[in-house]
Amino acid sequence: MGRAKIKRGSTTVDMTPMCDVAFLLLTFFILATKFKPPEILEVTPPSSVSNKVAPQKDFLNVTIDKDNKVYLSMDEAMKSEVFDELVKERNLNLTAQDKQNFEQAGFVGVPFSQLSQFLKLKPEEIKATTLPGIPVDSTNNELQAWISAAVNARLGSKLNFLIKGDDGAKYPTFKAVIDAFKANEQYKFNLVTNSKQVPEGSELYKKNLREQMGEKDK
Amino acid sequence: MAEMEVKDSGKKKGPGVKKGKKLSTRVDLTPMVDLGFLLITFFIFTTTVSQPTSMNLNMPKDTKDPDQNTKVKESGSLTLMLGKGNVIYYYYGNDPATMQTTGYKDVRKIILEKKRTTPAEDLFIIIKPDKDATYKNAVDILDEMDINDISRYAMVDPTPDEYSKIQQTEAAAGVQ
Repeated sequence: MGRAKIKRGSTTVDMTPMCDVAFLLLTFFILATKFKPPEILEVTPPSSVSNKVAPQKDFLNVTIDKDNKVYLSMDEAMKSEVFDELVKERNLNLTAQDKQNFEQAGFVGVPFSQLSQFLKLKPEEIKATTLPGIPVDSTNNELQAWISAAVNARLGSKLNFLIKGDDGAKYPTFKAVIDAFKANEQYKFNLVTNSKQVPEGSELYKKNLREQMGEKDK
Repeated sequence: MAEMEVKDSGKKKGPGVKKGKKLSTRVDLTPMVDLGFLLITFFIFTTTVSQPTSMNLNMPKDTKDPDQNTKVKESGSLTLMLGKGNVIYYYYGNDPATMQTTGYKDVRKIILEKKRTTPAEDLFIIIKPDKDATYKNAVDILDEMDINDISRYAMVDPTPDEYSKIQQTEAAAGVQ
């Protein structure tokens, strides 16, 4: 009986295509990675079911940390205008050097009286010092002045007001921030949150489901 | 290559001349693939996939004129007061004396029950975070409004009476 001989194949696999794929993916991820800028302000925002992405343009961001201190950051593109407007509105004695520093600074976390000094600090130095935050009390509400400067600097165009609070921040500080906005007749805010899943079976879940079904019917 | 061949054929090899071993050009690529995938894994994990989301909050204009204030039917209102230590105090209608206590996990049931028993146009939820509530509490409760699809709600301060009642309750319950 002539039995057909089974040819024994080699167990070595050509790795070249696999290697190609791996490096193609690698290139993609390297290019697509956007590293988080080192955050000097450590804030853990609460989560919400909202799935809207926080606006990244024309924003004014008020951060409230866990010690109820208020910091302000804004879109790079409008820093220069806002600074000029603020100096004009509050008659601050700030130099051109301060302005340059301000444009490079990530955020502001001190009262006007310490602003010039604060802007000279390097990021590492800022991290090492405890900042007093921007005053938001009813007696001395400097945040209000900042908002006013931002609104007037960008008169006519839409600004996005982001409020990013820490889980542990107290409500009165949040309210003080809201009041500072209200004083400038701004009533729309975006609260920065982490996203979380809509709980199954809840009203919103059913509503979303209905909307999806509706889209399918069409 | 061709030259080599010519050389080979042209010169006769003696017995002591070893034939040059032809080395394989194949390289084992497995370690390279390993490295590639290791790096891929690293970059996948470090890539910031989730951009921060944001929830919209629209606050009403403060008005001194009582005529412009939103009217709320007593039968349709539910007041949620956010207190210290993640506790919610709630009452129906206009009577803070009937205040009850709940937590953030159970508040959904209360909201849904109220929603079920009240005509949609009368339903109004009043959120009153007191001085000891955290920002997280406020966001959580606003989120709860979204989850339960409540369209009419407002965030206001508790009255001094309500605040003192909350404080009494907290003192009695020993909330730190």
